[in-house]
Amino acid sequence: MQWLRHLSAFCRDREVQPVSGQFVLRRLVQVIPTMIGVVLIAFLLIHLAPGDPVVALAGEHGDAEYYAFMRERFGLDRPLPQQLATYFARVATGDLGVSYVHGRSTLGVIMERVPATLLLTGTALMLAVLISVPLGAIAARSPGRVRDLGINSVALFLYSAPVFWVGQIAILFLAFQLDLFPVQGMTSAGSATKGLARMFDIMRHLALPALVLASQELAVLVRLTRSGLIDELARDHVRTARAKGVGELLVIARHAMPRALMPAITVIGARTGQLIAGAAVVEIVFGWPGIGRLLVTSLQARDTPVLLGLFTMISFAVVVANFVTDLVHAAIDPRIRLG
Amino acid sequence: MSLRYIAPPENHWTANLTGTALAARSIAVLGSAAVMLGVTDCTPESSRAGARPFVAAITTDPGHLNSAITTNGSVHTVAGLLYNGLVALDDKLKPLPELAVRWEVEDSGSLYRFHLRRDVRWHDGRKFTSADVKFTFDELLLNFHSRSRASLRAKLLRVDAPNDSTVEFRFRRPYAPLLQQLDVEEAPIMPKHVFAGTDPLRNPANIAPVGTGPFRFVSYRSGAEIRYAANADYFLGPPQISEIVLRIIPDPGTQVIALEAGEVDWLFGVPGPERARLRRDPRFRVMQTPGYSGGSNCITTIGFNLDRPMARDIRFRRGIAHAVNRHQFLERVLFGEGRVADAPISSGIEFAHASGLPMARFDTAAAGRLLHAAGWRRKGSSMRTANGVPGVADGTPLTVRFTVMPSQANYGDLLRAQLRAVGIDLRVEGLEPAIFSQTVFTVRDFDMAIVAYCNGTDPEIGVRRQYMSSSIGPVPFSNTAAYRNSVVDSLFDSAASALDVSRRRRLYREIQEIAVRDQPYIWLVETLNTRAFHSRCSGFGISPHFAATARCSR
Repeated sequence: MQWLRHLSAFCRDREVQPVSGQFVLRRLVQVIPTMIGVVLIAFLLIHLAPGDPVVALAGEHGDAEYYAFMRERFGLDRPLPQQLATYFARVATGDLGVSYVHGRSTLGVIMERVPATLLLTGTALMLAVLISVPLGAIAARSPGRVRDLGINSVALFLYSAPVFWVGQIAILFLAFQLDLFPVQGMTSAGSATKGLARMFDIMRHLALPALVLASQELAVLVRLTRSGLIDELARDHVRTARAKGVGELLVIARHAMPRALMPAITVIGARTGQLIAGAAVVEIVFGWPGIGRLLVTSLQARDTPVLLGLFTMISFAVVVANFVTDLVHAAIDPRIRLG
Repeated sequence: MSLRYIAPPENHWTANLTGTALAARSIAVLGSAAVMLGVTDCTPESSRAGARPFVAAITTDPGHLNSAITTNGSVHTVAGLLYNGLVALDDKLKPLPELAVRWEVEDSGSLYRFHLRRDVRWHDGRKFTSADVKFTFDELLLNFHSRSRASLRAKLLRVDAPNDSTVEFRFRRPYAPLLQQLDVEEAPIMPKHVFAGTDPLRNPANIAPVGTGPFRFVSYRSGAEIRYAANADYFLGPPQISEIVLRIIPDPGTQVIALEAGEVDWLFGVPGPERARLRRDPRFRVMQTPGYSGGSNCITTIGFNLDRPMARDIRFRRGIAHAVNRHQFLERVLFGEGRVADAPISSGIEFAHASGLPMARFDTAAAGRLLHAAGWRRKGSSMRTANGVPGVADGTPLTVRFTVMPSQANYGDLLRAQLRAVGIDLRVEGLEPAIFSQTVFTVRDFDMAIVAYCNGTDPEIGVRRQYMSSSIGPVPFSNTAAYRNSVVDSLFDSAASALDVSRRRRLYREIQEIAVRDQPYIWLVETLNTRAFHSRCSGFGISPHFAATARCSR
């Protein structure tokens, strides 16, 4: 982790400028119409898609009168523009409506699942970064050699293998055969745990799904770190540092790595959406109670309020991630800041 | 790490942090999330202490636990243990006392009077009375439970509660199958004092329910698990299993591994290829049941779209029926779990199931002759083309669109291979359930479709909708074929009001003979459901109260 300290020094050395309030305001103004557009498109897509939520909810034995009754209960008998106006009015006050399936506040249903997904994706991202940066550096130090080829092959394999399959194989070998991890869930069914013991129980259950989810991110980040570092190591300032007698580790950590990580940082910001999509599959395989799984079951059940709420929240997360990425770019690159 | 560039370091949370410290803080944040998850768990400590609980795997988070406001299978799978019906049904569908100790049927079947147990208490300690039964029917079942509403609402004049321990159902005309519609699956009784004056769809008790059943609710962690504890005051005697955890494991493959790893004790279903392996393993036992939550006695059925010109010819329908090898469906799709259907009504409804009917046997030569006679000609081994088929241009190749849901895609693949042998090009169209329902029952844009008709506990519940001409229309899983036969319509009406079982048997036999002759459907296989459980446990039943009589050794 030495390189982080050097990253900090790099910022000072490079005279990275704080982003102006005007720039932030300009970007924020762009975020609002983006979010309105996202909600509008999501609403129309969900409502215009074939499939009746009442049928999905009521099952197969109802009669025409029953389906009409349920449609009226959920306000689905009203014209679409009226439903849209009602929905926007609600969203503006922070009310995402009531779930058809759960019969309670959509926001509550979603927020119950958010911590689990944050824990899973956050851990996966952290693991991916902690593993990929050293591996990328090792590969970049000896391009074309056995170590580089080995790391690249593993990264390519993990990137191309479906996460569903990786999850199943991990369960079979690491959880079932070797008994290193629990097979499923976020906690043990019979555990009498609270506080710290419960936290460790959760972490024990978290390890395998987080590793599986991290494997795909890891693959991307290893390759980006490797290529970025190879470019940086060939630059003049690195050659100068070496000529001045700076040790190789310090050269990489202080002079090459910070800039080499820029593409990886950009990709991390841009992959928020993909990470949640990947989390859905991992959550299904491992029985992890997060929002990815809620998204899939809500889609199957045509639970429109939850679907819309999730789309809105995930879109918001992606927009915020991109907003942050913009700010990072602006801080580094004056052309963006001033343009 | 990117946050370091957003704001001046001195103002940011990462200011002056070394890499190690930053990593430590990241871990701390994630740890906090874990702690938060731990702290927000509201499971009482008492429910976790002591012996390992009995763990059952379920596929879907039910969303709520009120089985009186939905027929959704995922709710009924888990909620059955919490409630009771007025009667229970044995494996022959014979009604047995549950909340009702005895009953009388008067006025030729227009009045049912039930005498209730006086020793039943709700899980919150309040006394159960006839007012709860009346309220449950008037405000919940007849409004929100689609099967009860569709079958009873128009026929039922009123429900009366003349005193605390008596309840009466008065019908407009004699109604025969009521007793088969009063078990915990079809009519779970809910507490009036919890639901009165509230919106039943949004009542908080839907996720923290109060019932009278063998288990009481303990906790519900959305997407993760539901916990029940034994009801020590259960009127039929407390269960021996002290605690049940229903774990939500969406992937069936993971469920099987979790069973083998000892993390769960009970599976409500087992994927076909895994069944034989679990049967051979002495650590586990399997049992079969005709019941599915939300439906029972199901027959997987192919429906012809009789609105299409080619399907109007009985020779075409009969020809295809002869080309179908139903035994292969049983072996290759169901892995032997079930039986070949030998009548339009399930063998699970014994009194109504007809035997010895002239069902179309697998005979490709007969199939070829009938299709040829219908105008579908074949040269050598090519696909058939139209030659004199009414409403179809000559030379049109015999291409049939077969609409299926993804869960039934295997049926489509096998049927395609079987029909190719007689010169029919079957195009399998897989549609997600909600879209399938719309395409088949509302738009009616299909040639043939496959539907699992769950017959339920009486033909009135799950068979009638399949044949009545009044069931043609935009109602899901109704009359797929758009079959119209006024004789069949009146026979169903007569059977519904005939109290005498032998008379009902005769009427349903007549209906089945006509249906087999007209062949609007091909009845493929009766499906069963396999439960698998750890051999340390025994005594399970097939009803929704499956665990009430079970016991597990340590």
